[in-house]
Amino acid sequence: VSVLEMGRIVNFLYVFVASIFGYFTMATLTRQDLNFGQVVADILCEFLEVAIHLILYVRDVYPSGIFQKRKKYNVPVQMSCHPDLNQYIQDTLHCVKPLIEKNEAEKVVVVIMDKEHRPVERFVFEISQPPLLSISSETLLSHVEQLLRAIILKISVCDAVLDNNPPGCTFTVLVHTREAATRNMEKVQVIKDFPWIVADEQEVHMEEAKLIPLKTMTSDILKMQLYVEEKTQKT
Amino acid sequence: MDDLYLDNIDEFVNDQNKIVTYKWLSLTLGVHVNTAKQMLYHYLQQKRNESSGTPLHATYLVSGKCVENGSTCHKVSVVREDKLDAVKAKMDVTISVHVYSVQRAELKDSSPLYNTDYEAVKENLKNCNKYSAIRCAAAVPMSSAGLQRAQEMALVPPEEKEISKPGLNENTSATSKSSAKQPAGIMGMFASKNASKSQESSKEVKTEQKDDSSLVETSKSKTASKANPMSNFFGKSAQKKADEKPNKSIKEETDGSSTATAIMKQSQTSPKSKIDIKDEQSKVSSALKVESKDTRKLKMKKNKEIGSPSGQIVPDSPPVPNVQTPSPKKQVKREPVSHQEEISEVKRRKRRRVLKSHTFVDEEGSFVTEKGYVSESYSENEEVPEPNSQAKDSSSLKQSFGKREEEKKVKSQKKTSTANKHTKQPSITGFFQKK
Repeated sequence: VSVLEMGRIVNFLYVFVASIFGYFTMATLTRQDLNFGQVVADILCEFLEVAIHLILYVRDVYPSGIFQKRKKYNVPVQMSCHPDLNQYIQDTLHCVKPLIEKNEAEKVVVVIMDKEHRPVERFVFEISQPPLLSISSETLLSHVEQLLRAIILKISVCDAVLDNNPPGCTFTVLVHTREAATRNMEKVQVIKDFPWIVADEQEVHMEEAKLIPLKTMTSDILKMQLYVEEKTQKT
Repeated sequence: MDDLYLDNIDEFVNDQNKIVTYKWLSLTLGVHVNTAKQMLYHYLQQKRNESSGTPLHATYLVSGKCVENGSTCHKVSVVREDKLDAVKAKMDVTISVHVYSVQRAELKDSSPLYNTDYEAVKENLKNCNKYSAIRCAAAVPMSSAGLQRAQEMALVPPEEKEISKPGLNENTSATSKSSAKQPAGIMGMFASKNASKSQESSKEVKTEQKDDSSLVETSKSKTASKANPMSNFFGKSAQKKADEKPNKSIKEETDGSSTATAIMKQSQTSPKSKIDIKDEQSKVSSALKVESKDTRKLKMKKNKEIGSPSGQIVPDSPPVPNVQTPSPKKQVKREPVSHQEEISEVKRRKRRRVLKSHTFVDEEGSFVTEKGYVSESYSENEEVPEPNSQAKDSSSLKQSFGKREEEKKVKSQKKTSTANKHTKQPSITGFFQKK
C-alpha cells in the first residue's frame, strides 16, 4: 500500500467517523468533511458573484444599461445581463471554488484599472474559515444570509467614501492563495481555455494607496473582511 | 435633550455611512414614523444651512393624484432630490411630500433603501408596525393552524402569484425611469445573442452526457414547474408531465422515472455532496440554497428571460459545470434500477448497510481504494449479490468520469460489492491487506 494510498484511507476514515456523528447529532463537522467545505464554498462563490456584479455597477465600470435588478438574499441586487461578462465571472469563480473548498484562498481581490492598466481601486475580500466548523445552530444559514446582506448594503453605499474613477476602466480578479496551492492549479486546467497566470507586480501592489475598511463579518462557518485600497490620485 | 436626535442622526449618516430611512429611524429610536420624518427634515435643514462638511443626499416620498393614460390615479413614488420638483410638477394634486431617507452616498438605484428597511423590519418583526401611521384592526398575526393552511394554499396557485408581481413593481421611482429606455436598446442586443448561445450550450450539454433523456426530462419538468421554484420540492405532478415526452430512452426509465426525478431534484440541492441523497444533508444547505438550487435548474433550462427586463426573480448564481452533473445523475440512475432488482429477487434477500471498500486501478495505473457506506443486499447464504449488473455499471461509470472523481466520496453501491466477493465480513483492517 503506497503512502499516498494511506493518506487517502485515513482521510476517508476521518470523514466517515465524523459523518456518523454528523448524521445523529449534527454537532461538529471537521474541515476534512468535503461536504461541508463544499457547502461553504458554494455559499461564498455565490456571494462573490453577486458582489462582483454589484461592484461593477456601483463603480461604473460598465454602463448601467446592462444591469438588471434581481433578487438575492431577499433583497434586490443589480446583476449584469451581458453574456460574455457573466460567463467570465462565472468561469473565474468556478476556478476559485476548489481553492476555497480547501481553505487555500486567502484573498479574492477585484482590481479596477484605468485605461493604462494601472490599478485605481482594489476591493479586497479577505476570507478565512475556522478549522473546526460547527453547524449546531439551526439559524446559522439565515444568520450568514443576514451578514452577507449587510456586506451588499455596504458595497452599495461605498461611493460615499471613494473618489470617482476615471472613465474607461476595466477590472480583473486576483486570488491570493496560502502557501503553494497554485502549483496544482497549473497542472489541472479546471476550465478549458481559461488559464490563470501569476499576476503582475503592478496589479498586485498599488503605490500611494489609502485603505478604507468597508465591512467585517464573523460567523461560525466563515470570516470575511472587505476593504478597499484606493489610489490617492486617480487621474 | 430634544436635539439629541440630531446628533444621533449625524452619527448614523456621517460616521457609520448608513442610509437613514424614516422607517429605520423610527424603529431604531422608538418613535412614531411621523416624528422620524420630522427629525430627518430638521437634520437636513440644519446640515444644509451649515453648508460645510460632507455633502448629503436625500430621497423624498411624493404622493398625489395624476392623470396617466387617461385615467386618474393616486401615485406614490420615492424620488431623488434632484428630480423632486419635476415629479411634483407632473402631479395634478400633491397630497404629501416628506423625507424618505438621508445618506451620504449618491444612490444609483433604490435597492439599498429596501435593504435598509428589510433589516430594520426583520429585527422587529413582531412589532414592526408599532410606530406606524397605518392602522388596520383586522391585521393580527395568524395562529399556527392558520399558518399551516396558508402554506398549503400557497403551493396550489403558484402561477397567479407570478402574474400579480408585475403589478406591484409599478411603484415608480424617478431614478429608474431615466434608464428605462436605455435597457431596451442594450438589452435587445443580449436577447438575440443569448438565444443563440443557449442553443449552442444546450447542444454541448446533450452530447457530453450519455443519458440525454434525464437532462431533457429535468429541463421539461423545470419548464412545467417554472412558475414557483418552491413547488419543485413537492410537485411530483409537475414532473409527470415531462414523462410523456416521446423519447426512447425515457420510455426505458418510465418505471423509475418519477422516483428518479424526485431523487434528482433532491440531489441537485446539494450536487457536491456525494455521500447522500439523504434529506438531512440537503436540509443543511436548503435554507440558503433554495435559491441556488433553483438558479441552477433554471439556468440549465437556458432561460431566455435574460432578454426581458421584467424584474422578476431571475437566478444569478453560476450554473453547475457540465462535468459534475453526470455524477449525481449516474448515481440516481442506478438507484431506481437497484430498487427494482431488490424487489424482484428471492424473498430471503435483505439489504443492510455495510462499510465496504473497493480497490481498483485507475487510468494512471495507481491503485485507488474507495470506502463508502454501502447498502448491500445479502441473503442468508451470504451469496455474492448481483455480480453481472455491477460489472456493466462500473465500466460505464469509469468511462464517463475520466477524472479523479474517485477521490470524492461517490456512492458506488454496485462497484464496491464487486470487490468484496471474497470477504464475507468486511472489517476496518480489511483494507490494509489489499494490495
